[in-house]
Amino acid sequence: MSQLNQVLLHEQSRVGADLDAWLATIGGQGLTRALAEPAALIPLIEEAGLRGLGGSGYPTFKKWQFVATQPNAQDKYLICNGNEDEPGTFKDRLLLQEAPHQVIEGACITALACNINRIIFYINPDQKSSLAVMEQAVQQWRESQWFVAIEKALGKELELTVRPSSGHYIGGEETAAIESVEGKFPFPRGKPPFPAEFGVFGKPTLINNMETLSNVSHIVRHGAQWYRDLGLGSSHGTKIYCLSGDVLYPGAYELPMGTPLSTLIYEYGGGMLLEKQLKAVFTGGPSNTILTPKDLDVPLDYDSVRERDSSLGTGAMIVISEGTGIVKRVAEYVNFFAHSSCGQCPSCKNGTFYAAQLLTRIDTGRGSRADLYALMNLCQMLPGSGRCHMLDGALKVLQSSLHHFMDEYEEAVNR
Amino acid sequence: MSNSRVSYDEALAAYRPLAERPLQEQHDDVDALLRAYHPDYRADTMTTLKVGPNSGEPCHRQLAEVLQADARIDDADLAGGAIVETDVLVIGGGGAGCAAALVAAVAGAKVILATKLRLGDSNTVMAEGGIQASIDKSDTPQMHYDDTLRAGHHLGEKRLVSQMVMDGPDVIRWLIQQGMQFDMDEFGDLLTRRAGGTSANRVCFYRDYTGLEMMRVLREAVQNSDAEVWEYSPVVELMINEAGHCAGAVISNLKDCRYVQIIAKSVIIATGGIGRMHLNGFPTSNHFGATGDGLVLAYRLGAKLRDLDSFQYHPTGLAHPHHLAGTLITEGVRSAGTWLLNGKGERFVDELKPRDVVAAAILKECAEGRGVQTSDGGQGVWLDTPGLELRNPGILKQRFPKLLHLGKKAGIDPHISPLLIYPTLHYQNGGVAISEHGETTVPGLYCVGEASGGIHGRNRIMGNALLEIISFGRRAGAHAAERRHGKGHKRTSIDHLSRLRRELTISDMPMEQKSPMLFPSCAKFDTDVDYEGLRRNRRK
Repeated sequence: MSQLNQVLLHEQSRVGADLDAWLATIGGQGLTRALAEPAALIPLIEEAGLRGLGGSGYPTFKKWQFVATQPNAQDKYLICNGNEDEPGTFKDRLLLQEAPHQVIEGACITALACNINRIIFYINPDQKSSLAVMEQAVQQWRESQWFVAIEKALGKELELTVRPSSGHYIGGEETAAIESVEGKFPFPRGKPPFPAEFGVFGKPTLINNMETLSNVSHIVRHGAQWYRDLGLGSSHGTKIYCLSGDVLYPGAYELPMGTPLSTLIYEYGGGMLLEKQLKAVFTGGPSNTILTPKDLDVPLDYDSVRERDSSLGTGAMIVISEGTGIVKRVAEYVNFFAHSSCGQCPSCKNGTFYAAQLLTRIDTGRGSRADLYALMNLCQMLPGSGRCHMLDGALKVLQSSLHHFMDEYEEAVNR
Repeated sequence: MSNSRVSYDEALAAYRPLAERPLQEQHDDVDALLRAYHPDYRADTMTTLKVGPNSGEPCHRQLAEVLQADARIDDADLAGGAIVETDVLVIGGGGAGCAAALVAAVAGAKVILATKLRLGDSNTVMAEGGIQASIDKSDTPQMHYDDTLRAGHHLGEKRLVSQMVMDGPDVIRWLIQQGMQFDMDEFGDLLTRRAGGTSANRVCFYRDYTGLEMMRVLREAVQNSDAEVWEYSPVVELMINEAGHCAGAVISNLKDCRYVQIIAKSVIIATGGIGRMHLNGFPTSNHFGATGDGLVLAYRLGAKLRDLDSFQYHPTGLAHPHHLAGTLITEGVRSAGTWLLNGKGERFVDELKPRDVVAAAILKECAEGRGVQTSDGGQGVWLDTPGLELRNPGILKQRFPKLLHLGKKAGIDPHISPLLIYPTLHYQNGGVAISEHGETTVPGLYCVGEASGGIHGRNRIMGNALLEIISFGRRAGAHAAERRHGKGHKRTSIDHLSRLRRELTISDMPMEQKSPMLFPSCAKFDTDVDYEGLRRNRRK
């Protein structure tokens, strides 16, 4: 059996906004079981080993447990996070457009598991077609018999809402998403209190990525062991890898978690464009340590990539070939972060802006050795000084580019 | 049959001006003639595009080669290059580019006009006849509209044509405000004359160098405006933003051999035609810079093109001497009654037939061995000016001073010796598909002038080209200037080149050729000693 697109991107799942078509194939089976035995859901997810596929890799059952065990608040929220805005990531929009019911059914099962009654599909407003498809799909659920069944099981009124996010990159951060849902600018909040205790309007709130939620109905339908067996080595399930950059066939590939980087690039990506040499890979919506050709053998799962001091992140793999200037790329990405900084932490606001300025200056041939030292200093001083992880991500990619490609920086300042 | 061809010297020695020459009986069906000999109709010169937004559509083979060629630059070439930001970037320093830049600058936008050569080096200056605008009492925009569509075989875009003809009178008013002169009668009213294939006196003109006068005025106006002019700055690639919109361009500065990135909120392509690609080996009446760069740039970014198989070949381009090959001889000479003669001294076509028919007839004579062969490999047929002079003494001096001037340059006296002529590549009828504001299908990218398509259908009437460049140039300039209020680009790059290279690889296309051409192949930029200084600079 082909290892490509086995679950989430399987053609059975990609039926579009037609609820009947979804129910006619594989839809509804997971939800039926969940309705029968909601209390078994969290142990099932724990056994399956499902982890947050939006970038954290945090065990999903733990998040669920925090929310489920909150004292019986009248309202509990689930934010289905589809803010997706980082360079090189394009999986959520694919899931929303082609398999909206997979996400919605997953969200409904999650609600049953954690006794959540308000489900918000939080989607980047730039993805207009995703929003339109979800509106249509959610309306079909509201009118279906399932809606009533879930309300009955929950014992309270269920609410399904499709909500465009503010369109800011930072709006994808958990607490920023909560602010945005409350109708405010998406400033990340300090933690604690954690969203599970004090989320939307002070209510317990669970936030999961679209890809994570999409897996839920399949796990409930097939069981934990099936999901564990999908992965390679010690990892479980599948992952949608967003392959882009200088490869022949870029695109979203759902492959077993733990597929080696070389398999992704050379087997599925068709190899390097114009058969150039691989120079570097920016991972996870470029806020991580850069992978280099010696990392081609790394299995792409959360733990293995972390062992190489990087992170799988959203599964974005931006492949760079020889002939591409690293300084320019890093300058672009840090500029993106500077542009995306919400501005509430001075270190992030000034730090990303200053780093971007220095990088642009070096990249455009106007930089000096002093600028390079200033960059290195920023990498020492700034990490950990922001409320959220955005600043750290920006510095991580900068620092690792300095580590691996110092010669290019040297050349740029000596020009 | 080529051995039956007559050499230039033999044919000239055998030539006698005669007062009477019967037209040979014509048996050819016009359609068959066009199909067999007109380059547009010849299947062997056409191909089907394999990559890009026009995949599957017919295109001229040579044009397809540059549209489907590899780019000149790579990401690494931009490392360490300067970056400049502006609101509006205009590419091209001809009439359309200048009009767009002027209007955008007046509207308050920061404008950079980048031109491959110098400001005003363009085909605009070569327009002799005039500019069409329905200002005569006996004329209406409706008649102008009908004439334009009919001449274009009803394949022009109706909404574009109707807007252009309605703009006509205001275009003339605007040009006068800029300081342009027109020939007037004793009361100060503009003189008009009739163009071939039209139903009213509609062509406004200044002597027989209307385009040159227009360019003089526009160039001065641009130089006195706030628009920045970058000369010797060909664009080698456009840039794209995170949403796939046009985000600026990469300029190759010829003086210091460096690439400069200009990030712009809107880009207006006004690069003119493709004559210097010498389609099918034809000489051209176009200027040195008309290498079709704009088509390539826009196509790569995803802009839809149209009518890529339709070009205008003017029947009477000079064929001898070699260094003046392609120079245009005005249609007025044939209108006045000059005959076309083959190598045997026979008339072979009614000289007043439409341009495409006459051009095809000349090509047929040459292909069937009845042409005149020059020593440098060229060929052609005679334009019998001495015969015209014999029948109408004094007419050449009185009505065609520019022709006599051309004769002086060529070392030939048209009074006593016929001129060897051959069809010359004159105008590109198609181009980038545009909206009423000159927008292409790529947001942020505009296209005006000869590089754009859709107005002339498959054939253009005289005088509409000058009207088009000002009408659409002004509109595009105004619309592009409005985009300055939009939020800037998050990320600019040349990532669309990866898409191009990917498509080329997958379609198994050759990647040796690079485009845009920038300079005609005869320029030999890499080996010509004239550029030695530039190359030394580049090696540094």
